[in-house]
Amino acid sequence: MSSESRSRIMARVRHASLGQNAAAIEAQLDDFGVAPAAELPHDDTCVAFMINVLRNQGSIDVAPQRVDVVKAVGQYIYRHYRSHRLVAGNDPHLAAMPWRDGGVLPRFGEIEPGEPVALSYAQWGVAETGATIFLSGRNNPARNNLLPEHHLVVLDVNQLLPDLESLWQQLEPAITGAERPRALFCIAGPSSTADIEAQLVCGAHGPRAWHVILTGEVRQEQLDTALDVLSSKKNPGGS
Amino acid sequence: MELQSQHFTRKAVAALADEAAAAQRDAMALFTPVVREAAVQQFGDFEALRQHVKRIRRHSLDNLDYYLARFELEATNNGNQVHYADSASELNSIVLDICQQHDARKVAKGKSMVTEETGLNDYLKRGGLEVIETDLGEYIIQQAGETPSHIVGPALHKSKEQVRELFLEKHALGERELESISDLVGEARSVLRDHFLQADIGIIGANALIAETGYSMLVTNEGNGDLCANLPRVLIICTTLDRILPRGEDATAVQRLLVRSATGQPQTCYTSFYSGPRRETELDGPLETHIVLLDNQRSDILASDYREMLQCIRCGACLNHCPIFTASGGHSYGWVYPGPMGSVLTPLLNSLEDTAALPNACTSCGRCAEVCPADIPLPDLLRDLRHQQSQENIGSPRWRMGLRLHAWVAARPGLYQFLTTRVMSILNKLGRRKGSFHKLPFASGWTDQRDFPSPQGESFMQQYKARRDDRE
Repeated sequence: MSSESRSRIMARVRHASLGQNAAAIEAQLDDFGVAPAAELPHDDTCVAFMINVLRNQGSIDVAPQRVDVVKAVGQYIYRHYRSHRLVAGNDPHLAAMPWRDGGVLPRFGEIEPGEPVALSYAQWGVAETGATIFLSGRNNPARNNLLPEHHLVVLDVNQLLPDLESLWQQLEPAITGAERPRALFCIAGPSSTADIEAQLVCGAHGPRAWHVILTGEVRQEQLDTALDVLSSKKNPGGS
Repeated sequence: MELQSQHFTRKAVAALADEAAAAQRDAMALFTPVVREAAVQQFGDFEALRQHVKRIRRHSLDNLDYYLARFELEATNNGNQVHYADSASELNSIVLDICQQHDARKVAKGKSMVTEETGLNDYLKRGGLEVIETDLGEYIIQQAGETPSHIVGPALHKSKEQVRELFLEKHALGERELESISDLVGEARSVLRDHFLQADIGIIGANALIAETGYSMLVTNEGNGDLCANLPRVLIICTTLDRILPRGEDATAVQRLLVRSATGQPQTCYTSFYSGPRRETELDGPLETHIVLLDNQRSDILASDYREMLQCIRCGACLNHCPIFTASGGHSYGWVYPGPMGSVLTPLLNSLEDTAALPNACTSCGRCAEVCPADIPLPDLLRDLRHQQSQENIGSPRWRMGLRLHAWVAARPGLYQFLTTRVMSILNKLGRRKGSFHKLPFASGWTDQRDFPSPQGESFMQQYKARRDDRE
């Protein structure tokens, strides 16, 4: 019986624990301080984020205005599928985009098997890891992140965070509230595997490609800088 | 999973004789430490992170009664059903019961070493369920009827040619080439996609459980675990007590260590946190979620001198750096967990007697302790297990007698020096011409495999004394 097992396990665990009270435990935890984060590859948080997205096998478009976003989405889909269709979550940020200006015909809702492209609106981005962050909810079906061949993500650079600790601070209102979000997704790349002979292949089960469209106060020069940093790391002696 | 560790030596000999597989293991042993090292260097102060996480993990285990109760409360409030399993068989029966309550027919599983430990797949199959492993490595070995050879890359012992043959045999998809690894991955993707969409139950593991909020963390690159967690109508998370951490930031601190140590990435493609069933406003997600917490001796380990082993984060770095693991391969260890962490954990989760070879499968080189992100003193724990074996008279009488004799002589420095000086001097005279011995009495364990170099004539102590006298 599970309840008997619970009692037995709890008794053994209690016996092996220090038996401190909650206040002492919490005080001790606070004393440990904050974990060190990874060093950012650039002083500019946005450039650092871009570098990490590219390292994670992602691709990037810079689209400062909403019209630039829809054009970037339209060009991306046309380039890969000669199509104008995609599925987008019900996020109000996406609903408010001037889709006609980009020649895109979005369907809002859940992706159906066989639909190749989905667009999501990321709540945050984390520069430390190059991850885009999503909370599950009616605006963001989980399967839209997992089932398409190409996963497109729109992220406002105002929502960029330096590290994972900042992310938990941002999450605090949501996860201490009455009903916590069912899921938090940190997506940092297309689905990949190295399970056969340790060779990396993208498109294991989920998206084969992960494309991040940065909007807001972002400039093409920042992406150029990120690309320069990566190419100089690859060819440190090159001219 | 049935324990086969009694046959470690025989299996290791067979593994060494398979030259192609040995070459593949050698290639991995060269490659994996390099990617880990690059990721560690890129991080910055990795040692500070390692020590921070060690303090947190130790604190969590010291106060596990508090954090376990807190996790249970929060997870239950989030809408989960939390179950406790004292033993492997209890976990299996809890999971089967849940499947039967839902009249389930198909189960999609993410990678879970815990369910390998309990032998869940076979149990569910006997219960009439179809169980599909969805991690590519796990899928390959499931199709091949094998067990994992590595805790992170379960099928890394197989070549692409072997996987190709396997897929051609198992997938009835007509004639096709499947020449590249990309083709193989593509085929597995299309076959498994249907299983994801049809599965009634998803089963995943957890890399961490967060006491403060009741979330569980799942770290994958393929996204298969997330498909298992989001598509089927019921989700079962099978994990162990020792995964519990106080806060979300502690889980992501562990994740920083884990992915760099395992695959050399700054972050895996998917790091997800799940709190419970689908909310009213949501379009997808499971309607019912269960968390099964397995003990299976862990609370005994918590009360023992081997408590530090519970700090293990299952990254596989100790395997990748172990010369014995490289030489003998993961299957030789005869159970779920191979390499140094397995040589400690397997005896503790089974019996010291049936796993007698494992604590001895160590050269004491110390690389595992150097790279362990949880800073577990693996060589010390292996030595303690060997000591315990000796105390409990485990091992062949001849071996134990030899050890006792050695200990008796080694504890008498005068006698030790006298004997070694004489033996080395005799061996030097006998072997001076050839420079080595093909055979030596009482040392066939060495000379059966390789020549024994002829000693140089003087012992270390003789040379030390001579140099000290010269200096004076």
